[in-house]
Amino acid sequence: MTDYWLNKLIFDLQEAGGRGLWTDSKKRLAFVDGYKLSPAIRKALIEDDFTTLQPAINPYLMRNFLLFCGLDDEESKDVLHGLHVGPQPTDKSGEVAHG
Amino acid sequence: MAELVGCFAAGHAPNIARMWETMDRKERAWLDEKFSEFAKRVKASRPDVLIIHSTDHWCNFFLDNIPAFCIGIGDEHEGPPEPFMKPVFPYETLKGHAGLGKHILEHAFASEFDPSYSMQLKLDHGMVVPVWQVHFETIPAIVPVYLNLVEKPFTTPLRCIKWGHMLRDAIESFPENIRVAVIGTGGMSHSIGETTMGWVDEAFDHACIELFRTASDEELGAKMDEMLKVTGNGGAEMRNWLCAHGAAGGKGFDLIGYTPMPSMLIGCGLAEWRLSS
Repeated sequence: MTDYWLNKLIFDLQEAGGRGLWTDSKKRLAFVDGYKLSPAIRKALIEDDFTTLQPAINPYLMRNFLLFCGLDDEESKDVLHGLHVGPQPTDKSGEVAHG
Repeated sequence: MAELVGCFAAGHAPNIARMWETMDRKERAWLDEKFSEFAKRVKASRPDVLIIHSTDHWCNFFLDNIPAFCIGIGDEHEGPPEPFMKPVFPYETLKGHAGLGKHILEHAFASEFDPSYSMQLKLDHGMVVPVWQVHFETIPAIVPVYLNLVEKPFTTPLRCIKWGHMLRDAIESFPENIRVAVIGTGGMSHSIGETTMGWVDEAFDHACIELFRTASDEELGAKMDEMLKVTGNGGAEMRNWLCAHGAAGGKGFDLIGYTPMPSMLIGCGLAEWRLSS
């Protein structure tokens, strides 16, 4: 379920400083406190708990968020693939349904 | 009267810009070759205006208000806001065509479509990566059409084809002697920010290509609707291609090139619809 304020935070982060802000723990804390987040989401943001965050983030914003966390494409894929249930689809199968 | 002079489609992956100077040499050579052919064809159509269909990648709209279709009716637009676009496409503003934009808007309402509109849009990488790759001496005026393809629900594929038909009628009823090209950007298959990120679904891409070549509007719309349920989320951007396909009258699909390009995170396709005279 998409979480409005969590996604709003990431949306705003695009223009508020992105990676430079988010990878600075003091700036991150101050930024997080500007949003109406549930305690569980707030904790997950501070602890880089992607397992909790991913289901609540729009995928395109998730991609940007992982970049802001300092991860490149390969590292982002590793994180996301680790959250996948079942086998990864193969390039040529086109048969595995997913959300 | 205005004239539709070309319908085109091309991928718009941000990594094309982000990694332009550092990407694999073979992939760079493929992109150079195919985008050069794309550019040659777009330039040959001598457009005064480009109507570009793309996804808004969270640059203009957010969850407080997401239009299914939004037409840019400004005299000018903001250039791409993404930092990675600045080195390759350093435009602060891009020229719009308010007259044509408003005409399309009014024609759409008179044709049972209800798009949103904006006089102040940012043209993100989705709009401008193909424009950058054409390397115009002077960039034509742009009428941007943003579709919501990032947060479900999305408009149906058949609706996009019908939008294309409506768009052509709008262009051909605009009372100025201007040449107009329609471009659909993005696709083909990709998976972004999902737990399958990086998946390039070649079977989906080849099926799309075959459908564009042979299917009726109804078959294309119905099959795309089913296929999009079981491929990566970026496949939704094929709706931008469907708008161009509809504008072309649903005929004349000519593939300029296709290759799976995992480092760009997309199945990269470029195409033209040959317009009958």
